[in-house]
Amino acid sequence: MAEPREYLVHHIQDALATDPRARELGVDVQVMGDRLVLTGTAATPAQRAAIAEVVEELAGGYEVVNEMAVLSADEDGSVEELS
Amino acid sequence: MTRVAAVADIHVGVDSVGRVAAGMRHLNERADLLLLGGDLTRCGEPVEAELVAQELAKAGVDIPVVAVLGNHDHHAGRVAEVVGILEDAGVVVLDGTATTVGVGGTAIGIAGTKGFGGGFAGANATAFGEPAMKAFVNETRREAAGLHDALVAVRPGADRVIALLHYAPVPETLRGERLEIYPFLGSHLLAEAIDTAGADLVVHGHAHNGSERGVTPGGIRVRNVAQPVIQRAYRIYDLGEPTVRAAPAAATG
Repeated sequence: MAEPREYLVHHIQDALATDPRARELGVDVQVMGDRLVLTGTAATPAQRAAIAEVVEELAGGYEVVNEMAVLSADEDGSVEELS
Repeated sequence: MTRVAAVADIHVGVDSVGRVAAGMRHLNERADLLLLGGDLTRCGEPVEAELVAQELAKAGVDIPVVAVLGNHDHHAGRVAEVVGILEDAGVVVLDGTATTVGVGGTAIGIAGTKGFGGGFAGANATAFGEPAMKAFVNETRREAAGLHDALVAVRPGADRVIALLHYAPVPETLRGERLEIYPFLGSHLLAEAIDTAGADLVVHGHAHNGSERGVTPGGIRVRNVAQPVIQRAYRIYDLGEPTVRAAPAAATG
């Protein structure tokens, strides 16, 4: 019997937190039909790719859809006045 | 006018070289002070702390930099080394402690600690039952007490006081996160400590899917500056001119 999808999501999130390639807690993993959809924000493009790689290894028959964003670190200088 | 730049959760790893520096090239001219609200590194490895220091140097950051660590900075179990590397680079690292930074005649007191979880009023953990549960809640209590004492200590010499955290003190800045994980994202014990001791602004990170703005039950502004939330290199908050405190009323008799 295939692993219930709830456990699969848990195992993937554990792997993303502990696998040295990923080390990311902020990935939302959802099962949608026969796809595993990843959302959240990676620190760099390399980490985004590594996260998908870790998930692919555990995904079984699911297709991995990587919808993760990469951290935007542009400098825009906008100011909020608090006084 | 006092401009405080703040960011958290920059998660620097070996593949981050150049990214942080690129976003901070104009920091010196735009802000008087930089606050880093934890998760500076991806796993808390000393090599990653070295990269944080190098990125700040590469960007030429020469305004004061004050930081707290986050849960990622603790992961490798090498906190003392990480703190040492950051401090050697001129970063003041707070942990239940405070520092005062002079900015053009205004004294900015910053009290900081990492904080911890436990949840928020009505849906919070209590120190009851198993030792592990008591240890979890007592860790947050210890963090909150450290923050309270640091705020009290820094207040007398400061025109403005900022509380710097990694974990969230209020649920408002968690909006967007799944409700089920709130207890892992912060604790109302931190807000209670801040409201009791007093502050002008609270800055935290940790909640990547949260919201930027909130307020403590006592009315103090809270800002979640996790980089995935603010979507920029840093946010700047202008604290304005220092308020002239009224002198205590003269005794009559």
